[in-house]
Amino acid sequence: MTFDWWTLGLQTVNVLVLFWILSHFLFRPVSEIIAKRQAAAMDELGRARADRARAEAALAEARARDDDVAQQRAALLSEAQEGAERARQHLLEEARQEAAGLRAGAEAEARRLRREAEAAMQDAAADLAVEISQRLLARLPGPGASAGFIDGLAKAVAELPEQTRQGLGAAGPVAIRAACALGPEETRALADRLAAVLGREVALSVSVDPALIAGLELDAPHAVVRNHFRADLDRIRQELGAHG
Amino acid sequence: MENPLTLEPLFRLGPVPVTEPVAVTWAILVLAAAGCHLATRRLRLAPGRLQTVLELFVTALDSQIRDTMQRDPGRFRTLIGSIFLYVLAANWSSLVPGIEPPTARLETDAALALIVFAATVWHGIAALGPGGYLATFAEPSWVMIPLNLVEQVTRTFSLIVRLFGNVMSGVFVIGILLSLAGLLVPIPLMALDLLTGAVQAYIFAVLATVFIGAAMGEHPPASQTAKEPRP
Repeated sequence: MTFDWWTLGLQTVNVLVLFWILSHFLFRPVSEIIAKRQAAAMDELGRARADRARAEAALAEARARDDDVAQQRAALLSEAQEGAERARQHLLEEARQEAAGLRAGAEAEARRLRREAEAAMQDAAADLAVEISQRLLARLPGPGASAGFIDGLAKAVAELPEQTRQGLGAAGPVAIRAACALGPEETRALADRLAAVLGREVALSVSVDPALIAGLELDAPHAVVRNHFRADLDRIRQELGAHG
Repeated sequence: MENPLTLEPLFRLGPVPVTEPVAVTWAILVLAAAGCHLATRRLRLAPGRLQTVLELFVTALDSQIRDTMQRDPGRFRTLIGSIFLYVLAANWSSLVPGIEPPTARLETDAALALIVFAATVWHGIAALGPGGYLATFAEPSWVMIPLNLVEQVTRTFSLIVRLFGNVMSGVFVIGILLSLAGLLVPIPLMALDLLTGAVQAYIFAVLATVFIGAAMGEHPPASQTAKEPRP
């Protein structure tokens, strides 16, 4: 067995060179990348912690904001409820007032309609009364229907103003309308009565108008003297309407 | 028949004889340089498969050193890791037909043991100072000084002889079986040699760690252990 000192020296140098090679090409770069990864991981961890802290702060802020929003919501809701209650009361009051106004208007309208209906009923009753009277008087005999009205007509002429009475018969015969034809005696009696009232003789022009029902009517230029049932019935009806 | 324990030079560089262990070690150097360069030229934060293996090895090495020495592994990573990788590569070089592992020669083992011895003294003095380091030889009593001095030599020799004996015996057994039985018979023993080579590499590296750690004292300064790992 031999021991080669040259080999010992060379192997020692070789191993030292191997140390340098492995340190330069293996251990240093690998440990550097491990340290770099650890540093990156620590950075990421730090950032993650910072992000988490920020997220927690944001969460707390959001929760506080939510609480504020909830309080504001409750306040707004309460205020809205109060406003709605006020509006409801206002609308109810307006509705009451409007209903009262409508009821008053309806009642006034009802009263007006009732008055109109009553007036219409009175008009119909008056028309019916006139119709009944007209039918009943139509059954009276002809001379009697006018003869009894001569005195009344003469009295009405006597109550006319003097100037009007002077104008009667001045321009021609006095127009007389009778409900039925006058006989000679009735015409003579009428002429006499008018002459007595006027103080002079006047010519008469007698015409027949059945619409008068019964009686006479004197038509002067400035006056009309009515003494017949038609005029009486018209007056009665006006009075009935006025009282209704 | 040629004596297997004699070492004949393959060639000479001037007056320097270049033997087979030296040539094989050179080949290992070249392969290590090329392989490590290729493997670590594109290291990324998101590691690939090969980078993961390399980082796992370095992390395990650091963990082993830290557990054994209770110190920052950065200062010892290159020494311990290189010794382990070289002994492993040298032991497993016997798988290449015609190649005798360099660790089957006393010169290679002695070179490794001398480096470990020098590192032990260096780190002991660096950690404790010259006086403090020398004072460790008087522990636990000055009576132990001769024994501690002898221990320094004997444990270095134990490193040499342990590695040399295991590797050389494996080479001898395989060579004998090859000469007697044929081609396929030594294969189980070669597989066993792989295991033996890995175990011997681990033992050599762990013993180097223990020796250096013991030379630096039991209780390291707190600031030294608190330092960040460095390449």
